[in-house]
Amino acid sequence: MVGTYAVTALDGVAFGLLLFTVASGLVLIYGVMGVLNLAHGSLYLAGAYLTYMISNGSLFSLVAALAAGILLGAGGGATLSGLMRPLSGRPLDQVMAIIGITFILADIYIAAFGAAPLPATIPHILDGTISLGDHGYPVYRLLFIAIAGVIAAMLHLTIRKTRAGIALRAVVADPVMARATGIHTQRIRIAAFAVGGMLAVAAGVLGARICGPAPGVDTTILTLSLIIVVIGGAGSIPITFFVAIIVGQVQTIGVIVAPALAPFTLLMVTLGILIARPGNLGARPA
Amino acid sequence: MITTALNWKRGGIGTCLAAAVVLPWLLNGYTISLVSNALILAALAASTYVLTIAGMPSFGQTAYLGVGAYVAAILSRENITIGLIHIVVAAISGALAAAIIGPVVLRARGEVFLMVTFALGQLAVVAASKTAALGYDEGLSISAITLPGGTPLTNDGYLYLYCLAVFIPLLASTAWLSRSRLGTRLRAIADHEPRMAALGHRTSRDLLLGYMAAGAIAAVGGCLLTATHRFVSPADFGFDTAALALLACVIGSGSLAGAVFGAILIIVTRDLIGATTSGHGVALLGVLFLVIAYGRPHLRTIVTFIQTAIARRGN
Repeated sequence: MVGTYAVTALDGVAFGLLLFTVASGLVLIYGVMGVLNLAHGSLYLAGAYLTYMISNGSLFSLVAALAAGILLGAGGGATLSGLMRPLSGRPLDQVMAIIGITFILADIYIAAFGAAPLPATIPHILDGTISLGDHGYPVYRLLFIAIAGVIAAMLHLTIRKTRAGIALRAVVADPVMARATGIHTQRIRIAAFAVGGMLAVAAGVLGARICGPAPGVDTTILTLSLIIVVIGGAGSIPITFFVAIIVGQVQTIGVIVAPALAPFTLLMVTLGILIARPGNLGARPA
Repeated sequence: MITTALNWKRGGIGTCLAAAVVLPWLLNGYTISLVSNALILAALAASTYVLTIAGMPSFGQTAYLGVGAYVAAILSRENITIGLIHIVVAAISGALAAAIIGPVVLRARGEVFLMVTFALGQLAVVAASKTAALGYDEGLSISAITLPGGTPLTNDGYLYLYCLAVFIPLLASTAWLSRSRLGTRLRAIADHEPRMAALGHRTSRDLLLGYMAAGAIAAVGGCLLTATHRFVSPADFGFDTAALALLACVIGSGSLAGAVFGAILIIVTRDLIGATTSGHGVALLGVLFLVIAYGRPHLRTIVTFIQTAIARRGN
């Protein structure tokens, strides 16, 4: 019984890390550009479809899909930041434009891949289980946890320790002053959007096995990562990480602990945290 | 002069009304059901409009549309099929639900409000799709609503007239609310909330009242949805519907009549023009979103031009 909980909790960690990878990109873009990137779920779904198209069971094909995803994400993010530029200072119009893009992408996905959920092939060598106690656990999922953990650590260290990260935080804290000190704020903004896009598409490529390519997945992923941003207050990468793991646990452990309440647990937890959080919910990130 | 302008405006409204009433005799059943859908979207847009005048763009009014629709469906299941009862109970339920959720979401402003309402609205849909009493993902099918005499409404044309008969008072009440003292205070809160608070206005109470009114308006729209489709499912309250209601408001550029026009334009784009593109109505809507987002400064000019033209007509 304890084993079942432990295995489910591990699933929760995997799902939480998946959400973290998407949500951290959302936080990055919101923090630096002030843009609420509602196309983030569509970027994730693009990554999941890449895995469907490219990954054929060899390790190389998944790496190729990841490489394609990183390029696509960076390109897509940079394009979005370019599209947002003429609308700067008009947040509602930015939201409208981004929703327009998600509608067009959703239409393209249906036209290209149909309305049915598609399978995501992972490399055969990773397609087994190893035994944890008396339970078998998918190797790929453990590897996913490791990779997503490394991504989280790298992201945190980049933002905290590197020169680019310091410049980025300066742009978030005070764009005008940052520009006055000679930081290329525009370049930082494009970079933040590109990295955010990369994170979303990469999460889609690697997470296709966990939350697979199907219409509607874009909204599911967007909703869950927005909830993480809302609960965490778009504050920082560590807070986002923490909240993402909690949401992952609520979504998995919640189902086996209180099956009757399962549909409402996340709603209740979100409402509870929003009520308990002091001060206004409107603070911009720093 | 003002009287003539007013007369002209009244004449315009009268013409629109007359045109709306004769529509069922001019259009086929399918097209008239599209017009009913436009009215439902317009009701949702009117609800969103009440919040936009307070400077609170929302993605979550679909949740209240859902409250109204499911309340009507449950009443029908209990053999209470009289439309008027549905509307009253739904409006009260919508306002009550808003009174409960309001204090939580109204702590946010602007874009954060957008995010919070989006997240909670979607979670509510997911919860509905997993609730046995609401029929899970498949939703609820229901019997036709009846007029007080007991005649069931099944014909598309009569259903449309029923929607219209509910929609017009709903729209008039929204317009009245928007011009009322509460509406004025909500606009002032959008402009400068701290000053309103400093002047002694109870801004939190006003926002909550506005939010409850918006919840009731959306819930009445939900009743119309149940009556026309005779079927309710979580798919009716998705993110896309919320986005379309907000788009209608944005097209309206601060005018309620404009928001109604926006709702009609959206349905025409998706279901009439979209029908000719072999299933790419959604992409067409995407293009409409982009056109509105980038063209809005010009749109504002057009709306102001129309408004001044109407006002000047009497001179």
